[in-house]
Amino acid sequence: MIVFVARRVAAGLALVVVIATTTFALMGLTGSDPARQIVGQTATKEQVAAKSAELGLDQPMVERYWHWLTDAVQGNLGTSWFSGESVTDSLANRLPVTLSIVLAALLLSAVLSTLLGVAAAVRRGALDQLVQLLAVVGFAVPSFLVALVLAVVIGVDLGWLPATGYIPLADSASGWLKSITLPALSLAVGAIAATAQQVRGSMVDVLRADYVRTLRARGISERSLLFRHALRNAAPAALTVLALQFIGLVGGAVVVEKVFGLNGIGSQATSAGSQGDTPVVMGVVVVMVAIVVVVNIALDVAYGWLNPKVRVG
Amino acid sequence: MRRMTLTAVAVALALGATACGSGSDSGSGGATGGTLTLAPLVQAQPWDLADAGLGNNTQYYQPVYDSLFRISPTAEVKPNLATKWSYDATNTKLTVTLRTGVKFTDGTALDAAAVKANLLHTKDGTNEAAGQLKGISGVDVTDASTFTINLSAPDPSLLANLGNVAGMIASPKAITAGTLKSGPVGSGPYTLDKSATTTGSTYTFVRNPGYWNKAAFPYDKIVLKPLTDPTAVLNALRSGQINGAVLTNAKNVAPAKSSGLTITKYTSGDVEGLYIWDRAGKQVKALGDVRVRQALNYAFDRETIVKTAKGGLGQATTQIFNPAGSAFEKSLDSKYTYDPAKAKQLLAEAGYANGFSVTMPDFSAVFPDQQAAMTQQLADIGVKVKLDKVPTDQVLTKLLAGKYPMSYMVLASFRPWDTIQLQVAKASLWNPLHTDDPKLEALIGKAQAATGAAQDSLFKEINTYLVDQAWNAPWDSVQNNYATSKNVTFTPQQFAAVPPIYNFKPAG
Repeated sequence: MIVFVARRVAAGLALVVVIATTTFALMGLTGSDPARQIVGQTATKEQVAAKSAELGLDQPMVERYWHWLTDAVQGNLGTSWFSGESVTDSLANRLPVTLSIVLAALLLSAVLSTLLGVAAAVRRGALDQLVQLLAVVGFAVPSFLVALVLAVVIGVDLGWLPATGYIPLADSASGWLKSITLPALSLAVGAIAATAQQVRGSMVDVLRADYVRTLRARGISERSLLFRHALRNAAPAALTVLALQFIGLVGGAVVVEKVFGLNGIGSQATSAGSQGDTPVVMGVVVVMVAIVVVVNIALDVAYGWLNPKVRVG
Repeated sequence: MRRMTLTAVAVALALGATACGSGSDSGSGGATGGTLTLAPLVQAQPWDLADAGLGNNTQYYQPVYDSLFRISPTAEVKPNLATKWSYDATNTKLTVTLRTGVKFTDGTALDAAAVKANLLHTKDGTNEAAGQLKGISGVDVTDASTFTINLSAPDPSLLANLGNVAGMIASPKAITAGTLKSGPVGSGPYTLDKSATTTGSTYTFVRNPGYWNKAAFPYDKIVLKPLTDPTAVLNALRSGQINGAVLTNAKNVAPAKSSGLTITKYTSGDVEGLYIWDRAGKQVKALGDVRVRQALNYAFDRETIVKTAKGGLGQATTQIFNPAGSAFEKSLDSKYTYDPAKAKQLLAEAGYANGFSVTMPDFSAVFPDQQAAMTQQLADIGVKVKLDKVPTDQVLTKLLAGKYPMSYMVLASFRPWDTIQLQVAKASLWNPLHTDDPKLEALIGKAQAATGAAQDSLFKEINTYLVDQAWNAPWDSVQNNYATSKNVTFTPQQFAAVPPIYNFKPAG
């Protein structure tokens, strides 16, 4: 298992380097002019040239990349060209916002999709059809629309929860929970729909298996049968969907963060990308790729726990 | 056990919604004291004034840094840190007397030496505020409360600029130590409360107990929450989380009003329309003929464009100068009333009876309605527009490099001299093909050296000449809607993209 994990970590590091290099090259090839954007439309050409030199944009791209890489491996991701803020500090401020809503959405998805999927597979009939209908609807409705409706109805009209903004967990646990609930729900709807369908399908297959019939014949309780045996065998497929959902949720967070005025990594990535703020874009990319790698490794370990046969190699 | 824990957390998340009550941390500006919460449209730029931007960025700097002058809502220059000032006969030496006894929050005295250090430091920067000080050739300190700014040439906008970010003063001790990157150190009415500030989402400013003019700032606390999304701004206003913000989307005005918010329309300081860069006809020969440029002006139904493409947020005009400035002449707005037949006639007289073709940058990603109106109305008089697809972040660079003969554009237009410097003079940045008109250059030279009513008269003369020569075909002076909650009032500020914080007061 240790060798297996070590290999995956090494592959993950290689992936981070490859993607970071590609991103830096793409940022250099876009032809954007961050110096002009920083100093504004009224600045003279001399001011733009001075800002370009200050940012190091007058140096060859390879040289700039080498500087960035050597600093990055020492933990220095540079400073934002636009705000002057340290990229590391900026990520430390924004990552908790995005991770809070994404992890809460993932948790909601895992719990609710399991409950819905298992109930549909076991009860079948009208409940099954209802769950499938809800899943189709939930999958079809875009998260930004859910976010808009939740923000206006629950945040503005009813005033139950904040319509915008984020409160750090360290400041107030209840405030944090209130501030992430609507964004997390908005994100979770699609993920719940997709994962519930997967859990239902896997459970239906497993419940038809011979060993389930045998267990029933031996008189094992229905609860034990469902949750100790059937769900454990149906879980890997659901886990795969959830892992993919995680990556999708991070992407979906971009829109949800905008609607709820959250200063997360998603909104940061889009604004930095459109401005050509290379240090911020690189920081965001490295961190997000690292998170995806970690999630995938965790998923592999979870597979191994659920099914010892896959631990080999 | 694991199952129970997961379920409990999920239920808590779902039910927390109904159990936790209102999330509003609304500003409580009902009386003197309390909190004013505003939502700037942009993220904060660095605290070091050498890296400071202008426009929407100014609200971040106003709480912590005091400026040499105070600009009134009608754009008059008033005393602030500076109590007296005068120019010499050549308008190149500005002698200023400073208020005494003012200290920065780190205990350093705010004296003439501190002002000199600031002006030179900001001037050496590379951002927008620095650009307004480039004409300063030196600063002479006479004594602790008197200094003289030396200019390489008269700058009619200098006093006004010194009442904004360019004239804000930071602690020279912090400048020398390079600590402004981690937070501001000024002498302003407030200080940044770092413990209640999260960079990028919430900036909290609390009163500076040593501030000399506390009465001008009624709020005990200012909170700035940058929000860039129009929907998030509207929701934050309606739910009472913020007290004021610009409504960038005209469609949000009706729901804002129905929620009891007060909407104030004001001139943003931008003028939009068709800007003609190739007035000498170097790229498109037709544009070198004044009749063709006048035809382009007659082609536009400005009132309809404002109504349909702008949601009413604009004041139709044929002038590039701000309506609040002394260069503006109301009668000029009726010079080119919508008349496509006359436009075609002028084109025919100039030898372009079948119109002509022109390539312009494609602005459909950011200004789709404006571009659609423009291309249609130009097509109606026979001008065929070929749109060049270019990434949004590269448009400015290409326009400034003189790649296009004309284009849709929104350009800042504040004080007359600023506008002339920005887009009229031969060397102006936004005269990218450097149209050279000796008569115009002579008028600009006279206006620069003049003062008072004589200068205003020359500004009007320049404006009239530009409209007659159809240098551009502007459509409207852009207007913004500013929404405020019932417990807050504010006064719009001429020549400012957003109202300064000192223009806000508790209602009643």
